Amino acid sequence: MNKCRAGQKLIPEALYGELDMKTQEKLDRHLSSCRECSELYRKMSETLRIMDEKPAPDPGPNFWDGYWDRLERRMAREAGARTQEVRAAGPPPGRRRTRLVPRWTFGAAGAVLLFATGIFIGRTFFRPTADLARSAAISKSSPAAGLSVTTAAAVAPLAARASRYLDRSKVLLLAVVNYDPQASDLFSLNLPLQKKTSEELVKEAAVLKKELRASDRRLERLVSDLEIILIQIANLKSETDLSAVEIIKSGIESKDVLFKINLSEMRRSSEMGGAAARPSDPKRKPAKSGPAA
Amino acid sequence: MSRENKAGLADRMIAGDTSAFRDLVEAYKKMVYGLAYEMTRNHADAEDVSQIAFMKVFKSIGTLKPGCGLNAWLYRIVYNTALDHLRKKPFFPKAAAPAPAALFSDPPDPSLGPEKAAEFAFLRRRIDDALAKISERERAAFVLRHYHDLNLKEIAETLGITLGSAKSYLFRSIRKLQKELAGMGLCLDKGDLL
Repeated sequence: MNKCRAGQKLIPEALYGELDMKTQEKLDRHLSSCRECSELYRKMSETLRIMDEKPAPDPGPNFWDGYWDRLERRMAREAGARTQEVRAAGPPPGRRRTRLVPRWTFGAAGAVLLFATGIFIGRTFFRPTADLARSAAISKSSPAAGLSVTTAAAVAPLAARASRYLDRSKVLLLAVVNYDPQASDLFSLNLPLQKKTSEELVKEAAVLKKELRASDRRLERLVSDLEIILIQIANLKSETDLSAVEIIKSGIESKDVLFKINLSEMRRSSEMGGAAARPSDPKRKPAKSGPAA
Repeated sequence: MSRENKAGLADRMIAGDTSAFRDLVEAYKKMVYGLAYEMTRNHADAEDVSQIAFMKVFKSIGTLKPGCGLNAWLYRIVYNTALDHLRKKPFFPKAAAPAPAALFSDPPDPSLGPEKAAEFAFLRRRIDDALAKISERERAAFVLRHYHDLNLKEIAETLGITLGSAKSYLFRSIRKLQKELAGMGLCLDKGDLL
């Protein structure tokens, strides 16, 4: 029985010719003497013969002709999909660890960006109005002018601007008129600052004149007179050019510019005082006294 | 392509020859498809498995040790890919399983006559049915031995089993096929399985 079992297990190898000569002879001897094993050998051999009738699966030439193209397309498609997955997943952890820029720089950059955005929003949406900005500038440069700015803020923008213009011009003219080369230092005039202020006022005069033409002809003429004098101051070459300073002084006096400025201030003060006395206009505040005439 | 030339394909691929992969596909595509078809019993699945197997070959050709048989290595990739594919496929109860796809048999020889041609078609159908009824490992052992001419050592290497197990699977596969065919009236008698 054991001999049969061992012999039967050799039958497939014998059928496919994989047995060595010695084992094959041994099996042949057993098969010739054992009917059961011989019968099994015959049946298995018959089975293999029947299985030979099955051809290899073959989908046909059309399938094989396009096989490489289909495979190549699929490989390209899957390589593309893999690349996208890698991109979507970001760099691998190893690369993150070895990046050149330290992690804290991203935080710092974010803070700077946030700060810059805050400044931009503040400047764009919460900037002070032009009038207030100018008021601040005048109050910085001249305490006297700053005094009138408080008053001007309560009146109409044009009147306020005109008032500030007169205040600044007056301060400038007083500096020139009171300049005495014999009594004071030749360089006490601080010509660069005066020239710069004059240039600013000349530029502002052009706009003011245009706006005042329709509402206040008297004030417009005063601004025109001032403009000429301011142009002369702006064109002064040196404090030591005494003749030019004298010409400016005579111009101020001949046209009574300072007197006219004082008159304008008084008129404005009275207007504002009257308005403050009227109880019907709650927005108006009592006017403060303007600069001394 | 001779066996030496086929073995040289792997060396060419490892050396970086870009045309070697196409040559390898052309040389092995029928063999790869054949095993994939026998394992999956379906044309679409067989093509899918064969393409995946070739892509695996392309990616991992560098892992092939010099001197190792390309055939066994390639068959092992196809076999494992087919098993993975079968495991991922949805389960159908046998009664509800879809009918097998049409066979790709050679057209019958017109000289045989219609009766003989019909007989051959019937026989091939029965053989296919018998193969479908044995286990995947037994079927792989039989197909590799009978249709792909691999010896038992190569079969063992391909299936990742011992030589003794390969012999056992081959023996059992032939006996089961014998029983199936006998049940269909194609063998002399059924014969008891050992």
